Amino acid sequence: MAYYVNRNIKMTWWERVYLPEIFRGLYITSRHFFLNLFGFIPFFLGRKKERPIFTVYYPEQTVKYPAAYRGRPVLALNEKGRPNCVACGLCEIACPAYCIDIVPAENTGKQNEVERWPKEFTIDYAVCIFCGFCEEACPEEAIFMSDDCEISMLDRKKMKYDLQQLLVPISELKDRVEFTRKMYAKWNY
Amino acid sequence: MIIDVLITLVKILFILAVTVGFFAPVLTWVERKQSAIMQDRIGANRADILGFRALGLFHIIADALKMFTKEDFIPQGANKTLHTMAPILALVPALLTFAVVPFGGEYSLFGKKVNMVISDLDVGLLFVFAIASLSTYGYVIAGWSSNNNWSLLGSMRTSAQMISYEVTLGLTVIGVLMVYGTMKLTEIGAAQESFFHWGIFLQPLGFFMFLAASIAENKRIPFDNPEAESEIVAGYFTEYSGLKFGMFFMAEFIEMVTIGALVTILFFGGWHFPFISSAALLSIFDFLGTTGANIIVMLFHIGVFFAKVCIFIWLQMTIRWTLPRFRYDQIMKLGWKILLPMSLANILVTGLVLLVIS
Repeated sequence: MAYYVNRNIKMTWWERVYLPEIFRGLYITSRHFFLNLFGFIPFFLGRKKERPIFTVYYPEQTVKYPAAYRGRPVLALNEKGRPNCVACGLCEIACPAYCIDIVPAENTGKQNEVERWPKEFTIDYAVCIFCGFCEEACPEEAIFMSDDCEISMLDRKKMKYDLQQLLVPISELKDRVEFTRKMYAKWNY
Repeated sequence: MIIDVLITLVKILFILAVTVGFFAPVLTWVERKQSAIMQDRIGANRADILGFRALGLFHIIADALKMFTKEDFIPQGANKTLHTMAPILALVPALLTFAVVPFGGEYSLFGKKVNMVISDLDVGLLFVFAIASLSTYGYVIAGWSSNNNWSLLGSMRTSAQMISYEVTLGLTVIGVLMVYGTMKLTEIGAAQESFFHWGIFLQPLGFFMFLAASIAENKRIPFDNPEAESEIVAGYFTEYSGLKFGMFFMAEFIEMVTIGALVTILFFGGWHFPFISSAALLSIFDFLGTTGANIIVMLFHIGVFFAKVCIFIWLQMTIRWTLPRFRYDQIMKLGWKILLPMSLANILVTGLVLLVIS
């Protein structure tokens, strides 16, 4: 569909004179300037600040990302101090970038122990595309997209995280766990 | 004789210290910080020395270091001599204008009349415009010698814009000349001692036209067509880097100070504080003796003058960060079709009023 810009805007005489409109603009910008410069004066008079400065000093301060944010995938460490993962390999298959690599280990007959666990679990963040398919495929609530996105490095080899580096206590992932339960419940997995 | 030379040297050093040493570097900081505060941001504050940030003032040092250490690049096929000469040609006129701009009145120090102006020319205002139009050469040569299409376009726009707005600039000032009857900037300043004789009351229209035309001369937004990042990369200084680029930048900031000083002298009473005449001040500080009282009054006047200059620099910055830029044809239209007839009408009205009064 063609899109036309209306170039024939009818301006009033006052607007066409142009100088008053300049003064209006200057008034708005200088109001912001003085309110931000001496913003504490109206604050003392009991008035609210017109618009607070919303700059975040990034490396020192960070904003909390929403639960739907897909940062780096991590493995959840449950309350017993073990990964939830049973090394089924579904995430490995679901991964479109082939960045997950699992070597499973099995219980050889010990009672009251987990049956399967990953011996090695590596994710190469240099390859990962942060699609979240691994999280969707996981039947055990073991792998989650965390809100951590600060994984830039100078060395590509260091971007390959092994099992110990991937583990994150599940208490830190509560929001995301709830979000995934809500989200993927729709499909009745 | 030697004392006269010494006094002049001190004045020159003072002006250099104020413009190059103080205003030019500090304005780079002010530009960032003021735009940030106006837009509800915080602005440059990351450069620190041992954890001290000092409101981002160290960015000035960081900028200077960066410019000194950057490669001084001359493009292939460029005219080397002219390429090097152009920033100097742009910077020197901006500084030279201050030779005739008075920053205080006349004071008798140690039995000697000292004038707070480097050279009190009879044709002060003409000198200002002559020198200001010389800087066009710097910009034109910069664009031409860079061997770059965008630079050449930028310099052509510069020359067109400067020539168009110089007409308005000259004509608006004629109104001021008619009112005060002199071209000496010192006399124009001295004539505005009483508050209601300030140029803004006698020439209100002239002030707005002068400000618009001089911002256009300085090539800042909203009249920034010669540099227009969105159209022609960076205009005439596309091919400049390092300290040469810094010189163009410094010329722009010093020109801002010049505009502020000229507006103060012509329209806002120069070094006079409203309702406080220098005679009254002298009588207050009479107990310090003639020289002592004069020194205090001198410092007060210089402070008032530079405070006014700072206000006008603030105004220019606010205009720069408030208004969107004009198109090329709009600039030409404003210059030739609106400002020029208005300045002519201003002269006519001023002449008629003067005739009626006399």
